[in-house]
Amino acid sequence: MSRVMQLTDGKIVTSARPLEDRALVVRRHHLLVRISHWLTIPLLIGLILSGLSIYWASPIYHHGPDPQSGNTDYLADAGTLLCAHMPWLCHDADPAHWVYNHFSLGPFMLAVALRVHWLCAYLFMLNGLVFLIGLGIGGGWRPLVPRLSDAGGGLQMARYYVGVPYAILARRRRVHPGFRTKYNPLQRLAYCSVVVAGFLAVATGWAIHKPAQLSWLTAIFGGFDKARVWHFWLMWFFVAFAGPHIVLVFADGWDTLRSMITGWSTRVTRPKAYEHEH
Amino acid sequence: MSTKQKDAAVKTGMRFEFLKRLQDAVSERPLEAIEVDPSSLVRWSRRDLLLFGAGGVATLIVGGSQLPSEVLRRLGLDFYKNDGDNRRLLSKAVRVDDDVSAALYSEHHLVPTYAKSQITPLKNNYNGATPDPSYIPEWQLTVDGLASGLSVSVNIRTLLGSFRLHEQITRLVCVEGWSAISWWAGLRFDELLRVYPPKSDAKWARMESSVNRGPWGNPDPYYVSLDLSTARHPQTLLATHLNGKPLTVEHGAPLRLIAPVKLGLKNIKAITRITYTKDEPPDYWAKRGYSRYDGI
Repeated sequence: MSRVMQLTDGKIVTSARPLEDRALVVRRHHLLVRISHWLTIPLLIGLILSGLSIYWASPIYHHGPDPQSGNTDYLADAGTLLCAHMPWLCHDADPAHWVYNHFSLGPFMLAVALRVHWLCAYLFMLNGLVFLIGLGIGGGWRPLVPRLSDAGGGLQMARYYVGVPYAILARRRRVHPGFRTKYNPLQRLAYCSVVVAGFLAVATGWAIHKPAQLSWLTAIFGGFDKARVWHFWLMWFFVAFAGPHIVLVFADGWDTLRSMITGWSTRVTRPKAYEHEH
Repeated sequence: MSTKQKDAAVKTGMRFEFLKRLQDAVSERPLEAIEVDPSSLVRWSRRDLLLFGAGGVATLIVGGSQLPSEVLRRLGLDFYKNDGDNRRLLSKAVRVDDDVSAALYSEHHLVPTYAKSQITPLKNNYNGATPDPSYIPEWQLTVDGLASGLSVSVNIRTLLGSFRLHEQITRLVCVEGWSAISWWAGLRFDELLRVYPPKSDAKWARMESSVNRGPWGNPDPYYVSLDLSTARHPQTLLATHLNGKPLTVEHGAPLRLIAPVKLGLKNIKAITRITYTKDEPPDYWAKRGYSRYDGI
């Protein structure tokens, strides 16, 4: 007994077994993509923690010395301000160190922070290479390439998300715009730009790490001091990406999270014939 | 419609056609649905969860073992108290990075130079106290490890009298992240190497400042290791002047190293002794956890 199914993309699937014993899945993410996706998390955390410890040694955003404390760093001011208004959050000997004690390896740790940063940075580049190889052999790069139609679709998605909080409050139904592609245009924009940001973070990193030997690279980013600013704000791009990324994965459901671990997804565009048979 | 307009329309059409074809070439292919036993899905999931879970645990252990003891102490995870921060992976990373820096370095690649209008203020970054200027009149540079087997001592007048001064406006980059563009003048290290050639197997210069002071004014000699390839770089100066004036005590009077291909911490001030050696000499900041090569 053999059944023939017509899938939407025109492929013919034949099966000798009854339907109840089968599951239809698609391979969503290549193994190398999955591995590098998860490795990015500890590496980025290590890079950010050590990066802020390095930042502490010579903050980009500083002002003239404070007459009382002699402090020049806005991030130190932020800690002082926070501890002045929310003392229950502060157990630090010096409130000016609050930001660094909580979001970096800590102040006065430049030598070790540099070591951690180089370790994570070299692994981050290797990991990026693994990711690109996985995208290449798995064909996963294709859904990430921006298209001409993305401008309209992206706006549609943005409008949807803007309206979601109101829809929840007003208990209204809000219909998610449908796209037949692997990612919707806003997702594609986010995933594509985070890959570009990864490139830029590596490039600006080299620009400020080797401004003498790679002076051409430093010049591309407008010189040593500007390259530091680029590098600093690229960190914020990753932070800004991670927030909605995590929220939306859980909002989207188990299948999306699972597919980044197991690789497969049950979100198959099911053929009409399949549904009729049930 | 004129022919010109038609041509333009055709051209635009062609451009769109090209973009469309390009997009088709890179556009995504529909995901191929595969048919599997539900039981194999369970098996795959279990296998991958176990694999990724084991990977996660391994990453936590390896990553945690590389955290500085100060951080572990703050997290309440310092099971081995005061283990001296001897982290193998971190040391390996610094060595790899030093090798990369050495591979990137070329004696023929010049660092960017700047215009006088781009000069920025240079702060006194003596790590401890600034030494008392009383050493300056008596100052002498001693050079050791020479091919002649002798030890040479010269004062600043002799140096200035027997070497040509070279000028350059370059950037000094500090390991902390700040930098300063300054107008330096001094003799080329390369010319000192020619006049007083080091012994033939020498690969390194140990440069020392005996006048360096610690934070409480206590004597704290400063010393750096410098590979002779960097010493021979045309922009590596034994500087005597900053911004057109003789060096002040804050900036290492009367003679300091300016090696713009190295981090600022290699640019030793108030050099009192240079010793050429075969093996890599110790370095003040490398002993304190920073890298040894410090090439930028």
